Amino acid sequence: MPVSDPRSRLALGVAAIALALYALFFAGDYALHVLTRAGIYAIAAIGYQLIFGRLGALSLAQGCFFGLGAYAAGLGALELGLGFPLTLAAGVLLPSLLAALIAIPVLRLASHYFALATLGIAQLALLVATNWTDVTGGANGLYGVPPIETGTLSFGHGLPLTLLVWACVGLALTVSHRMTAGQRGLKVETLREAPLAAAALGIDGSAIRFRFFVASAAFGGLAGALQAHAVGVVSPDVLQFHVLVLILAMTVIGGRASPLGAILGALLLVHLPEWFRDFADYYLVVYGVALLAAIIFLPRGLAGLFGKSKMPPVETADAEAPHDPAPLTLSVETVSKRFGGVTALDGTSLTLAPGEILGLIGPNGSGKTTLVNLLSGIEKPDGGRILLGDADITGKPPEHIARAGLCRSFQHPQIAPDLTVLETVEAIATKGESAQARVIEAGLSTHANERAGTLPPAALKHLEIARALATGASILALDEPAAGMNEVERAALATLLKRLADAGHGILLIDHAMDFLLPLADRVICLSAGRVVAEGSPHEVARDPAAINAYFGESPL
Amino acid sequence: MFLKSAAIALTALMATAPIAKAETIPVLVPITGFLSLEGSSQRNGAVLAVERFGKDLSLDAEVTDTGTSPEGAVTALRRALEGKPSAAVASMLGTQMLAMLPIAGRAGVPLLTVSGTAKITEIGIPWVFRFFPGDSVVKVAQAHYAVEELGAKRPALLYQTTAYGQSGAEHLRRIMQDLGAPLVFEEAIDISVKDMLPALTRMQEAKPDLILLHLHSGSTALVIRQARDQNIALPILAGSAMHQPTTAALLEPKQLAGVCAESASSPISEPEGSVEDFTAEYRARFGTEPDAFALAQYDGVSMLIAAKNAGARTATEVRDWLASNSYDGLAMTYKSDGKGNMAHDAVVVCYDGKSAVPAIKRRYENVSGVK
Repeated sequence: MPVSDPRSRLALGVAAIALALYALFFAGDYALHVLTRAGIYAIAAIGYQLIFGRLGALSLAQGCFFGLGAYAAGLGALELGLGFPLTLAAGVLLPSLLAALIAIPVLRLASHYFALATLGIAQLALLVATNWTDVTGGANGLYGVPPIETGTLSFGHGLPLTLLVWACVGLALTVSHRMTAGQRGLKVETLREAPLAAAALGIDGSAIRFRFFVASAAFGGLAGALQAHAVGVVSPDVLQFHVLVLILAMTVIGGRASPLGAILGALLLVHLPEWFRDFADYYLVVYGVALLAAIIFLPRGLAGLFGKSKMPPVETADAEAPHDPAPLTLSVETVSKRFGGVTALDGTSLTLAPGEILGLIGPNGSGKTTLVNLLSGIEKPDGGRILLGDADITGKPPEHIARAGLCRSFQHPQIAPDLTVLETVEAIATKGESAQARVIEAGLSTHANERAGTLPPAALKHLEIARALATGASILALDEPAAGMNEVERAALATLLKRLADAGHGILLIDHAMDFLLPLADRVICLSAGRVVAEGSPHEVARDPAAINAYFGESPL
Repeated sequence: MFLKSAAIALTALMATAPIAKAETIPVLVPITGFLSLEGSSQRNGAVLAVERFGKDLSLDAEVTDTGTSPEGAVTALRRALEGKPSAAVASMLGTQMLAMLPIAGRAGVPLLTVSGTAKITEIGIPWVFRFFPGDSVVKVAQAHYAVEELGAKRPALLYQTTAYGQSGAEHLRRIMQDLGAPLVFEEAIDISVKDMLPALTRMQEAKPDLILLHLHSGSTALVIRQARDQNIALPILAGSAMHQPTTAALLEPKQLAGVCAESASSPISEPEGSVEDFTAEYRARFGTEPDAFALAQYDGVSMLIAAKNAGARTATEVRDWLASNSYDGLAMTYKSDGKGNMAHDAVVVCYDGKSAVPAIKRRYENVSGVK
């Protein structure tokens, strides 16, 4: 649940007031201590949401960052004699620097390798803390970390410490909100659910992953630093795996992508064992059962109890007219691509002019999708050149190519299922582009507030086109957009594509439905075994013996 | 709907406040996690003493699991302090004690523990009383027995990476050097390691004549089992974890041949007298065998009750009494060295390879010279 919507803000406000009243008027020293612990873990969980909840990257280093923050604050206070604000800064900086250092190699890894790599880093930190006894105090750790004091103010324990920690929770919420609110949050959702599409639509996934990983480390470190001062002891225990498990459980049970959920998760998981103390030896069993129940009955987490906010409905009258694209010509010059011993493309050349629809046909395995992958930067060519207008985009990253003006769709639509249609397009819309206008242009205004995951296949194809248009692209490379459509749907799609071409978009159209493609295309190229075997008007290619031999079997005309 | 949920949550939060009891001795011990065996013994000893001697004073024991993290211990202590106790039984885990001590010091509540970590009585907080001999006692006994009774000249040491392990290793390293039998090999073993063969293989290359162990219960049993399975027949002189019946139960009696261990005491090895009575009562109450931790904590709480019987009511009065009096417990006579170290005796027990009950081979009394 985004914090930006009124209902979330109201919920947060009421919860904050309730917590403040409880802390001020009802809580004793012990209850304040538990509340303080919950606040500390809430900060770590809010941070973990960024990398795990928002980006879906299973980092197993959040406990490590928490522990490093604690050690940095402890060593800063005990060895360097730093005062509280500086120890806090040290607690934030050390894990942030480590995260920045390891981000470049680690963030490139696929999900399970990423998890293993971060686990390795966490284990390494634990080994160092345990065995570098001269600095870390070894297994005994550091003790006597002073309570928080700054100037004449003392936040040692009790209400002052609780208020300070929860003020830090507020700070963490604010930072998290700034990183995930509005279009930024929608981009992140798209990146998590459809990383390939996100790149092809101009989202710089590497930069987002880097920012979120470092921020999650900073939040973990902040929590650890507060913990060091609150407990007074920093031992290797803060680097143990159970810290990560606790933070992970808070994130999942609270609500994977909701800051409010992180707070609820932390409050619940810190308080539950305390509530169940009267079960004596069986309190952990009861605790486990309660957690299991929460996971089974609240699949969207505690935050899911509050529902999901809705975007305002799309009003046709409000929509701005879509912008016309910049007139760009796509030139592909003798491009080749090999996968091991297989030649997917062998010196393929083509041009696509503004306002032109170029049909690309050929049997399965002829290199059509490979060509689109090369155009969109998902694969790099082994030879040849690709020009977009005067710009050489050969081998450039997908997000660069998308921003340059070439965008693509996928055979199997790649979308973030929980985003609405309007949010899906809003996530991509570049400056000056109206998501609303593109949704209407693509004929999706009646679906605008529906979740993308519930759309019928034909509407999904239109959504991909709307999203591509929202990047401001001049050239659209559409991979089998009519697949699975009935005649009425194909007709509607053809009308849309014709309109887009008339507006100046160059469209590279791959499809196997010849009754759809041939009447629509201005020119057609037939590929076979990675080579252009026929090129010309639809009539010419349909009668070309090479195309008939390679693809049609018999002329479709 | 939301307001209702918020009200329920607020009510649940408010339920965190514990109900105070008049005369409750908080028992804050690790009964889950890697120290659960030892922590359970500590708990049992404390509970038995309260049940046996606390009736006249209407004492009750309230057990709280601290887990093994410092923050868990701090939370448990904060909870206990709500009841304004005159003393508390506190965790045997050193890092937990180091976290709890400043809080107990500020609150002015004495903590009674069986933790072996040396530092807890060295940081200048006069509210801790340790009823289990520290490393400066039991490691002296272990080292002397190794050299003087077992004739060790080339000892190897395997120790745990925990605070307990590192503290003991430091003492053994120094004392063995002083005794002219320096360590020829040493390796720290993480508590999660189950395969000891790599460490044992590396150790054998150093050609030791004795294996010194300073490990927790599970690791101790694993090392001995895997050493014997590999036909490593070297004598083994283990730390106090080995004297625990729960550790011996993890091994076959024949695997225990040639195995000795230091300890504060060994209740099941005492065939008669008041310790035997304690053992019988303990078995009846908990259905398990007592160990030195249970007996030490039993003695500690018994001394606390003696203080109360002597008129100490407030926490300060209890602390002063514990600090200035000696007490004849079942395992030994306890007396503070001025820092809260109450136990100064040790024993070495050995197994005969036929039984899981060790025999006391040698007693080391007043090692620290306090009494």
